[in-house]
Amino acid sequence: MNFIISTATDIGTTKSTNQDSFNACVYNTSIGKIAFAVLCDGMGGLSKGEVASASLVNAFRKWGDNRLPVLCANGMTENNIRTEWTGIVTEYNEKIKVYGKKCGLTSGLGTTVTALLLTGTRYYIINVGDTRAYEISDGVRVLTKDQTVVAREVELGNLTPEQAENDSRRSVLLQCVGASDEVYPDLFFGNIKTNAIYMLCSDGFRHEITEGEIYNFLNPAVMTDAEKMKQNMQALIDINKQRRERDNISVVTIRTF
Amino acid sequence: MLDIGSLVDGKYKILSKVGQGGMSVVYMAINEKANKTWAVKEVRKDGVLDFEAVKQGLVAETDILKKLNHPNLPSIIDVIDTEDSFIIIMDYIEGNSLNKALEEYGAQPQEFVIKWAKQLCDVLGYLHSRQPPIIYRDMKPANIMLKPDGNVTLIDFGTAREFKAKNLADTTCLGTVGYAAPEQFGGMGQTDARTDIYCLGATLYHLVTGCNPSEPPYEMKPIRQINPGLSGGLERIILKCTQRNPADRYQSAAELMYALDHYEEIDDRYKKKQKRKLAGFISALAASLVFTTAGIVFNVVATQKATDTYQTLLNRATIITDYIEKVNIYCQCMEVPNMAGEKEAYLGLIRTFKEDDYVFTKDESDTLIKYMTNNADALQADKSGYATICFELGKLYWYYYEAPEERATRSKSWFQKVIENAPEDYENLNMAKTYASIGEFRAKQKNGNNAEGISNTEFMDYFNNLKELLNTVATNTNEQEIVRLELLEMARGMLQQYPTTFKGLGISEDELMQVYDLIAKTTESIEPISDVTEKKKAAILENMADTKQYIETAYNTKAEVKE
Repeated sequence: MNFIISTATDIGTTKSTNQDSFNACVYNTSIGKIAFAVLCDGMGGLSKGEVASASLVNAFRKWGDNRLPVLCANGMTENNIRTEWTGIVTEYNEKIKVYGKKCGLTSGLGTTVTALLLTGTRYYIINVGDTRAYEISDGVRVLTKDQTVVAREVELGNLTPEQAENDSRRSVLLQCVGASDEVYPDLFFGNIKTNAIYMLCSDGFRHEITEGEIYNFLNPAVMTDAEKMKQNMQALIDINKQRRERDNISVVTIRTF
Repeated sequence: MLDIGSLVDGKYKILSKVGQGGMSVVYMAINEKANKTWAVKEVRKDGVLDFEAVKQGLVAETDILKKLNHPNLPSIIDVIDTEDSFIIIMDYIEGNSLNKALEEYGAQPQEFVIKWAKQLCDVLGYLHSRQPPIIYRDMKPANIMLKPDGNVTLIDFGTAREFKAKNLADTTCLGTVGYAAPEQFGGMGQTDARTDIYCLGATLYHLVTGCNPSEPPYEMKPIRQINPGLSGGLERIILKCTQRNPADRYQSAAELMYALDHYEEIDDRYKKKQKRKLAGFISALAASLVFTTAGIVFNVVATQKATDTYQTLLNRATIITDYIEKVNIYCQCMEVPNMAGEKEAYLGLIRTFKEDDYVFTKDESDTLIKYMTNNADALQADKSGYATICFELGKLYWYYYEAPEERATRSKSWFQKVIENAPEDYENLNMAKTYASIGEFRAKQKNGNNAEGISNTEFMDYFNNLKELLNTVATNTNEQEIVRLELLEMARGMLQQYPTTFKGLGISEDELMQVYDLIAKTTESIEPISDVTEKKKAAILENMADTKQYIETAYNTKAEVKE
């Protein structure tokens, strides 16, 4: 399998810092090409949120550099990935917590995380919080489950998805890395498609636009090369800002072929 | 950093470091003269990025705590502001947080949890009754210290003040907000005492099941699904505390305390036991009828059982919130033989009819009157109790009856009964006379639909009585707002309808305008909490200009005649 990667980010219209962080790259390994992307949406006072998100992105990048080749050589299983990724998230939950305390931040320094690994046949995803992974081929499919209060309320039947979008609690996460006592990440595994787009995005990217718009701008037929991909993502970011999205906006896409 | 062994403020010798937070260090210290240990909390001014924010939180914390005095709260005795740190001297609380207890031992024994719950409920009641009320907002095991004597202390007021409804665009995380109640996320109304009730319920859930409700699967199941050995009564209490809608929870710490005191009685097992008791009572009663010779003996038994049954039912009715069930149980209370003359059930039913929707319907009236009539003899045995019931019933008709045109006639007769039955020293006797007299007037007014057949004295009385109610009831901020507004509207109506008559009776324009001003001022000062009262208030204010014109016209006419 081959991959094309493109990324875009914008500070948005109201914030003074961009607390989103991401990294995406393709590794040549013993088992073929592997694409690996991670995106974190940081939060917390005094512009320290970006420290939280950047440090976790960095930790995953290091894992890709150092541990991924080992796994490729010894056989990559879902269990291995689950154990190692959960370990990173647990370790950084403590590290960010301690860092926050050291800075005198008593509330809420933390970050979400969505990491996506694509081998020749399978996808592996870890998710904490409300950043998302999507698959766009004949349609748009969300591969992750938001860990938010409103998503749980929808699941329990207390809210409709439409109400959830306008609920005052839509930005309240059930957990995040750095501000939860214990962190329980969700992991998702599945088969990947050829000629599909795999996308990671922060919540700022998706509140104001519809799935239809995501499909129109980001479907495999219009996402033909890195430059085209970047233009299309930028166009969606501009639409978001026209519609008064206030948050930071970040998006990473990987095209398979 | 304070040195171990150093002396703070010339009195407190630092013994050891006992804890460290993000911005502060806590030491144990001893006042050697008094031989008493204290906790010394040092907050460094440097090394803290947002010291201003920290300081504000801290000042809030200490200011609150200094004023409080409760056995389950630590007391602060001194705050020292030095060049590079804030030093707070407070009670040294021995022991560990309940969070630690949960980590080490998991779920806590039910009887302990209930004992702690009562103490915490007492603290909440104390905090909520301060002026202005203090809402703690951050009840969780980590903030509760378990002392070696088995009692608990609520600590950490700094974080309690911090949590406010967040901006939509700001992402927050449940982990930082503990067991936040739904309304704490903003957009669902204010946080109030019921927010603390929710968090206490979540805390009890965590303590008694060992499951943290703010961790996956983020839910609170009925506790017996986790441990079938737990009490059904406690299960109900926790479920009620943690309802999403604040209106469905216990409405105050006192209400919750009552439930905690009687948790065994709402237990299913207890209910069965009570049913057996009731069955025993019924057979005892049957026996007493059959064996009339042994009647006297059995009667004593039956009376005692009846008292028990009545009391149990009454307690249940007090804590149940479902309207239909509540009414049913009060009715059962009135049917318990020998207890038909006890006033509590009647007063409870009146309260229920009033409070469920602030309308006293014809059906509700029929129910109540049926019991009042059937039990009239028993009721009149206790004159003072009967007067109290009649007075409350009179007011219920007066202010809440669904057909406004019948209010005066219906309430009048009950106020009349107060006058007939009340002992001379009955506190509301004069009030009842005032109501009865106005009721009489309004009943006549309704019949003739104008002033015909009403004597001058009656007009004078009407004016003075209504003025009396304005001054005693309408201006009383503790009265129900609907009561106040009804009275204000009645008085306004009087001014508009009869200014000419009053003029004729020699009442001056000034005197009428004084009443007018009082109505205007009082109405404006009321801040309605419901749509209904909001509309009532607006209607009164809207008509005030007209009323004024009627008064002026009435008195101007006189002036014209003179010319």
